[in-house]
Amino acid sequence: MNDRNLVKGLFLIAISLAFGLPALRYPTGDFARAGPGLFPLLVSSLLFLLGLTMVVRSFFIERVPLTFSVKNIALILVSLCGFALISKYVNMIAGIVFLVFCSSLASTSYSAVRNLKVAAFLIAVAFAFQKLLALQLPLY
Amino acid sequence: MEILHNLAFGFEHALTLQNLMYCAIGCVVGTLVGLLPGLGPLSTISLLLPLTYSIPTGGALIMLAGIYYGAQYGDSVSAITMKIPHASSIVACIDGYQMTLNGRTGLALFSAGVSSFIGGTVAIVVLSTLAPLLGELAFLFGPADYCAFMLFGFLCVSFVTTGGHMLNGLAMALIGVLLGTIGTDVNSGAQRFTFDQPFLADGVGLISVALGCFGIAEIVKNLDNRSQFTPFSGKIHLLPTWAEFKRIIPSALRGSTVGSLLGLLPGGGPTLAQFGAYALEKRFSKHREEIGKGAIEGVAGQAAADEAAARTSFIPLMSIGIPENAVMALMLAAFIVKGIQPGPNMIGQHPDLFWGLVASMWIGNCFLLILNVPMVRYLLSVFKIPYAALFPSILFFCCIGTFSVNNNLDDIYITAVFGLLGYIFLRLDLEPAPLILGFILGPMLEENFRRALLLSRGNFATFVSRPISATLVALMAAFVIWQIVAYVRQTRVSVAA
Repeated sequence: MNDRNLVKGLFLIAISLAFGLPALRYPTGDFARAGPGLFPLLVSSLLFLLGLTMVVRSFFIERVPLTFSVKNIALILVSLCGFALISKYVNMIAGIVFLVFCSSLASTSYSAVRNLKVAAFLIAVAFAFQKLLALQLPLY
Repeated sequence: MEILHNLAFGFEHALTLQNLMYCAIGCVVGTLVGLLPGLGPLSTISLLLPLTYSIPTGGALIMLAGIYYGAQYGDSVSAITMKIPHASSIVACIDGYQMTLNGRTGLALFSAGVSSFIGGTVAIVVLSTLAPLLGELAFLFGPADYCAFMLFGFLCVSFVTTGGHMLNGLAMALIGVLLGTIGTDVNSGAQRFTFDQPFLADGVGLISVALGCFGIAEIVKNLDNRSQFTPFSGKIHLLPTWAEFKRIIPSALRGSTVGSLLGLLPGGGPTLAQFGAYALEKRFSKHREEIGKGAIEGVAGQAAADEAAARTSFIPLMSIGIPENAVMALMLAAFIVKGIQPGPNMIGQHPDLFWGLVASMWIGNCFLLILNVPMVRYLLSVFKIPYAALFPSILFFCCIGTFSVNNNLDDIYITAVFGLLGYIFLRLDLEPAPLILGFILGPMLEENFRRALLLSRGNFATFVSRPISATLVALMAAFVIWQIVAYVRQTRVSVAA
């Protein structure tokens, strides 16, 4: 399974099915009076064909190993969602501190002092946005 | 004469204190953000797009355009000094970085700056002559023609951005179109792919898609690579000798011409233009044997083409209403947010916006020249910021950008989802630029597709019976057949080997 071309084809097929199968449930109409389901169905069928071509082709060409490191993407996603959660239920200043400290775990070097500086800078920027651009940031 | 009159009218609008300020802010911010590693024009624009929502229409468009060509330029500065290749300035890395290695950074930056200025100026002349003419032509376009034009654009963009692996690009464009169908269907009012979630009724936010695929995925990619850039610390001696200066001009003029033309084509734009101009210099320059080893011509030609194409690529957007590449698709979104439908009617209905924008591009040109030639050494100090401090800040700006669209913190989750998707695309070697184009054009494509078939009572012959769409369909067919042949041949070769 560790073949980028094969996974790519399967991934495209999965997306085409994710859109194509629900589209079957919408009225398709005919070409003269297209219903809401017709266009997504056409496009996802095309995508399905493309995915299928790639799957078939992947058996004939050289394998390219797929590299996927879970750690960095997971850390970044956690810091984003954490930022949104904390900003909503506590306030955005706490959210910024969390975002900076959590995301910088993904970096090669970790320094609490630098994180504090970055967080302080971003809080200042957030205040500037709130006052100058009139963004409704829930800062405190 | 009419052009001069129109341009004078445009300058009247662009030279107000407010608009001058927006233009300057756009250029400075665009250049600075464009300089940063991992942020090309696409991510810069999607990051800063929400901030223009609260600005008056004319100013917002002027500022966004400034951000775009500023980012384009900033990108080439980081390519010349540190060989940080973004997709949009790969060519600048070749001779530009070679000149840095030879200790002639200043000369390279000077050549790039002056040539960009020349390129921008030529492009504005082209823009102000061609856009109104093309606008007249666009009145002949029916729904079938628009449809064919958009599909042709998908093919071209897929081909250009993926470097020949057109199927990958095409698949991404289709995914974009599918994502664009999420939400309420305008014709029937049916809810599609919303899973009964009210927040999906208006569709997925463009900013979430763009920031996820370009901003967040790009950050994670840089983190995975763990590449460290050494900041540029060499001396910069800017002023060239007269002999060197004389070498810049002809290349810049050649580059401007090629760039203006290639900027017009569907799928065209700065990247294509740079390659075109570079190839031209290699063939026709007086010093062609030096190209590749750090020749002035190698920098000047591509820089002129780059800036020229960045401006002429506005022509299809503003006269026909169809963006030709992903950056212009984002611009289209910005126009629509401001309640303006770009297209043949725009020049007539909003002459102040159109000519003001054109004039502001020349003013932006002057700002860039000042910013990038005498002040470039100060700009380069942004590289002293370590990436470990930079990326949490970029993440924060992604969050603020997403939030400010609807003042809704929950939108950040959607951005995070697209960040994950973007990262998967990246690992699967799927280029996200066609996805954005497909996402923005998708609803227009569906609308025109349905309208064309409604008018022809379901008869597909309508796509080949009208001269404009028939030509485009023929071109597409030729293109697709050529690609299939190449694809099968490639597969065979690798099977044999």
